[in-house]
Amino acid sequence: MASPAFLAMSRFRRRRYEECVDLCSEILAENPYDKAIWLLKTQALTAMTFIDDSDLEELGIADAVMDDNATASMPRPGTSLNGDNASGKGSSLDRVMRPMSNAGRPNSGFVRPSTQNGMRPGTGETPGSRAALESAMRKTGSSRPGTSRPVTALGRHVRLGTASMRAESDGPFIDVSRMDLQKYAHRPTLARALCEFLLYHDHNARKALELAAEATSACNFEDWFWKSRLGKCYYLLGLYRDAEQQFKSSLRTQQSVDTFLDLGKVYLRLDQPQNALDAYAQALEAFPGSTAVLTAKARTYEMMRDGDQSLRAFKDVLRHDPSHVEAIASLGAHYFYSDQPEIALRFYRRLLEITQSTESASGSARSYASTELWNNVALCCFHSGQYDMTMRCFENALASADDSNMADVWFNVGHVGVSLGDLGFAYQCFKVAVSIDPQHVEAYNNLGVLEVRKGNQEDAAADFAQARSAGSFAYEPCFNGALLAYKRGDFPTSLRLAEASRVLFSDHPETLELVEMLRAKLV
Amino acid sequence: MDDGTSTSGGVGKLTSMLRRDYKECLRLIETQLKSCDGMCEYPLYVKGLILRGQGKVQEALELFQAATLLNPSNHANLKQVGKCLFLLGKHSASIDVLDEAMLCARREDWEIQHNKGLCFMFLKEYEKALEAFQTANSIQRHDSTFVEMGKIYTATGDLKRAIEVYLEALEFSPDNPELLTTVGLLYLRDGENFKAFEYLGNSLTRDPRNPKTILAAGSVIQDHSDMDVALVKYRVAAVKTPNSAQLWNNIGMCFFGKARHVAAIACLKRSLYLDPFQWITAHNLGLVFMHTTQYASAFHYLSTSINLKPSFAASYMYLAIVLSRLEDAESAVAAYEKALQLDPDDPVCHLNFASTLHNIGERERARAQFQSYTILCSRMTSDERRALMETCAELHTQVSKMLQVN
Repeated sequence: MASPAFLAMSRFRRRRYEECVDLCSEILAENPYDKAIWLLKTQALTAMTFIDDSDLEELGIADAVMDDNATASMPRPGTSLNGDNASGKGSSLDRVMRPMSNAGRPNSGFVRPSTQNGMRPGTGETPGSRAALESAMRKTGSSRPGTSRPVTALGRHVRLGTASMRAESDGPFIDVSRMDLQKYAHRPTLARALCEFLLYHDHNARKALELAAEATSACNFEDWFWKSRLGKCYYLLGLYRDAEQQFKSSLRTQQSVDTFLDLGKVYLRLDQPQNALDAYAQALEAFPGSTAVLTAKARTYEMMRDGDQSLRAFKDVLRHDPSHVEAIASLGAHYFYSDQPEIALRFYRRLLEITQSTESASGSARSYASTELWNNVALCCFHSGQYDMTMRCFENALASADDSNMADVWFNVGHVGVSLGDLGFAYQCFKVAVSIDPQHVEAYNNLGVLEVRKGNQEDAAADFAQARSAGSFAYEPCFNGALLAYKRGDFPTSLRLAEASRVLFSDHPETLELVEMLRAKLV
Repeated sequence: MDDGTSTSGGVGKLTSMLRRDYKECLRLIETQLKSCDGMCEYPLYVKGLILRGQGKVQEALELFQAATLLNPSNHANLKQVGKCLFLLGKHSASIDVLDEAMLCARREDWEIQHNKGLCFMFLKEYEKALEAFQTANSIQRHDSTFVEMGKIYTATGDLKRAIEVYLEALEFSPDNPELLTTVGLLYLRDGENFKAFEYLGNSLTRDPRNPKTILAAGSVIQDHSDMDVALVKYRVAAVKTPNSAQLWNNIGMCFFGKARHVAAIACLKRSLYLDPFQWITAHNLGLVFMHTTQYASAFHYLSTSINLKPSFAASYMYLAIVLSRLEDAESAVAAYEKALQLDPDDPVCHLNFASTLHNIGERERARAQFQSYTILCSRMTSDERRALMETCAELHTQVSKMLQVN
């Protein structure tokens, strides 16, 4: 029989954290003052709830609406993440070529928290306005998956915190409120573990800040670790300027990839993407070929809607890590939307191979993201002329789909119907899509277009109106509605809708032409 | 309120209106309306004009109606009520009001007649609309009236009359690029490419960046197989309308003409991505794939084209050729028959049909098809025959040899 302490450590190293924690609890029950075991348990608990926080998290409603961190309300082009909604022209991020997510941003190839909800509420709205709040609330209430946001940015952390508390049956392991943090601050090893525990397990940024402040003064402000942790705490508390200072000072003492990423995150939150890119460039000088930094760079370019640069960065990522899922997916999406479905197909096939090999390795019945993947493979097959594969891939996608993504698959099947000229089939597909997801803007819009072709103007107008009420991010239903109203001779409605379309997509030549014509009529 | 203030208020209003300073103008109007309890006609009228310009037509209508109540004899008010009703889509009500305005007016007014014509147009009573427009023109000639008349003739399919109307308008204002473009387009539809190009070129010298004109002119140039010049023209248009499906279609066909099939396919596919309902693009894509001997893809796009536009005979013929290459003789014959049913006077179709029939061993029917082909050829003028021989001389000699030898 091995020593229990050794067994616990072995389990920790084998990443069997739960068993490790159980064993540690037993040992601690016998000897509550065993520091080594206490340290081990703290680390095990932290590792259980650890999340990769190097990516920008979603913004809560309150943060989004009362956001006053961005300095310029009318930023110069290329200096803001809220950039002009018409930019990205010529690249694969062009609005006409690539559909929008319901945050009013181009669809990304890979879903992350910040791509779904957008950095800040819709581009046409000023922060703090009533409309912004309403749209943020509506996004919460809509039935689309991935859109429910917490009320504040800390919301997710608080939720995670409560979730990890609940898991412990006999009260919290460490009761921070009764702890003498100053005492711990002079024991560097214990203090570090405790700080990580507070940040990643308890999600108690305030206490972690206290500890970090004590510790950093205890070591004469010379330890990069404490400075970077201070920055993290400040970031979580929303004190971005303080966070920036701490990260920078930490980097002066010791450069590390994590700190660079955190610094970039602060700049992005402050809506200063250029500074973030500078930070990443420094990081790449110190750590050439770090995929984490390269990915962050690519994401930033994508958020700035600079398709070409983002593409280059993702390619760099792939050069250093050939099985980087996000890079493969993003490149696939890029090639698909720039008229090269054959190449996109190769990327998606590679993804399919990766997921299937991990699936067979782990033996789980359901591989992750397979619905979306099959759907994308099907679309690529269809557009590159491999018709025999298309429907089989869609069948695969539908077989593994659930309510959250089935509507999108049907929508795409409908598109294939349109491309085949089989409009009856397409109509039915779009109907199925809206029956699954009554908020599916694109499907309603396309139903409207099909109705116009059939000559049912009333039904078409109703469909466009439904599409507009389901989501305010797409310009298509506005423009189509305006055009329909114009043809029917209802000029005021047409002008209203055309103006709405222009707000959403200020460079759309057809909208501009329509507005001009209407203005001439009304004067 | 004495006369002095009223005129100065009126002048202030006018100048601010001329300067398009509507905010200031509305403020002046409000003070004046307050001072006379809203019982003043002219401020109401001007406010109505401003609101209508901002798209608030319903509110403008109410203001004009109020002005009419104050002074029922002024036809200007009634005229604006009629126009508002028209803008709101209440066409028959608008006609009634405009008739009333005509009775009030002491002299004839072209605008009333013009608006009446527009209302009739939306009600699809084209005869009456034309009548109204003609009266309007006899009072005073305006480009817009001519344009509307032209639209009616185009809608009823009377291209010759439409062209006449536009030419009349051009006499009146020879420098209007839009009129020139429209005339050019109509000649193009009528098949008079040379005249069309003349007008389109004229229009381009006045407005060299209009994407519509460039597209039309480019297509004429393309028809004369001058692909490089057409591509240069399209490059100008692409800056303004980068997402125009028609533009990409034409660019694709330019590349096809230069035998650069891959570029052609890419452009046509982009066009189809932007507008999946364009049957002609699907048809073109089918043709290109046929040339690259990718018959399955060609079949796919041709069948799409037929689904969207079942009445285009050439699509069936190409479909039949593709099917025969895919060795589905039965369907190929059916497709040929359908094509001939739609357009029995197409010699090329008869010739292709004969070739296919011969290849599957039906010599008798092949000979019959070849015969109808020769009959159709003999009816042609020498120019037409030469053009035909340019395209299918090889096939002609092949088929005739095969059938003669047997």
